[in-house]
Amino acid sequence: MEHLLEELHPTMYLEYHLFGIDLSITKAVILLFLACFIVLLMVWLGGRKKSMVPTGMQNVMESLLDFVRMQMVIDVIGPKGMAYFPWIATLFLMVLVSNIIGLFPKSLAITGETGTTFAWALIVFGMYNVATFKEKGFLGYFKSFAPSGTPVWLMPIIVPIEMIGFWVLRPFSLAVRLFANMTAGHIILLVFTFMAATGAVYIKPLPFVGVVIMLLFEVFVCAIQAYIFAILAGIYVGQAVQEH
Amino acid sequence: MEPQAYAWLGAGLAIGLGAIGPGVGVGMLVAKTVESMARQPEASGMIRTTMFIGVAFAEAIALYALVIAFLLSFK
Repeated sequence: MEHLLEELHPTMYLEYHLFGIDLSITKAVILLFLACFIVLLMVWLGGRKKSMVPTGMQNVMESLLDFVRMQMVIDVIGPKGMAYFPWIATLFLMVLVSNIIGLFPKSLAITGETGTTFAWALIVFGMYNVATFKEKGFLGYFKSFAPSGTPVWLMPIIVPIEMIGFWVLRPFSLAVRLFANMTAGHIILLVFTFMAATGAVYIKPLPFVGVVIMLLFEVFVCAIQAYIFAILAGIYVGQAVQEH
Repeated sequence: MEPQAYAWLGAGLAIGLGAIGPGVGVGMLVAKTVESMARQPEASGMIRTTMFIGVAFAEAIALYALVIAFLLSFK
């Protein structure tokens, strides 16, 4: 079972430490840059020549971005949220592309690394903190921990819960949800592949069919996790922007 | 028993017990979704989208248990 976990660890290409921080170039780093490049290429190809009747990549990008705009920005944050639309669209495309990259053979799930997901969760954390400060002011930021209409005797319970939720649970659950979904999917695929490779001849077809079905399901999970990551970023920012 | 055996036992228990709640939750979610889709077929698109978000949230809790199970079993 140990060598299954070895598969999940990225290959090291160049070991590099800076002031005691591990900045080594691994497979995950290279794939992450590849994901950035693919997103850039998609957007560039989509917006290269704008025609009234879209064709090819422009079609794809228009439907994707319109989906983000309607489902995650207008519906969740409100019309004021269009200022956050580029950020949420970038998050969505980035998570989607890096999830999908992990499904190709010889690659690994970039989002199956805690480093990546925690970094993205920290970006979301920073963004909704800044949004709350900007929209509500310094006092309003702390007032948001005490929802209006709460009885006074409940305050000692509600306020710490809201604080922990705001500062710890939100970024943590964002990161762990994405990480756990991708890692669990890849481990299931690995176990099925392992069974198909080493099992007895008469039992081999069963895990093989399992791999095919799980791979299809993983494509769906990749898309839905990107959607959830982006919509949660939208919801968190939206709570700051909207008046209660 | 060896300490490793306890860890494996704990891993099995973690995912086994941790899957109960999300399982019940996903079941209730889908049941209610089917119910409301049958009542209002014209709103089924929106209901389905909301259901998937809810299912993903419930599923994530089982996956937290899975992470704990893996942490324990590969200790």
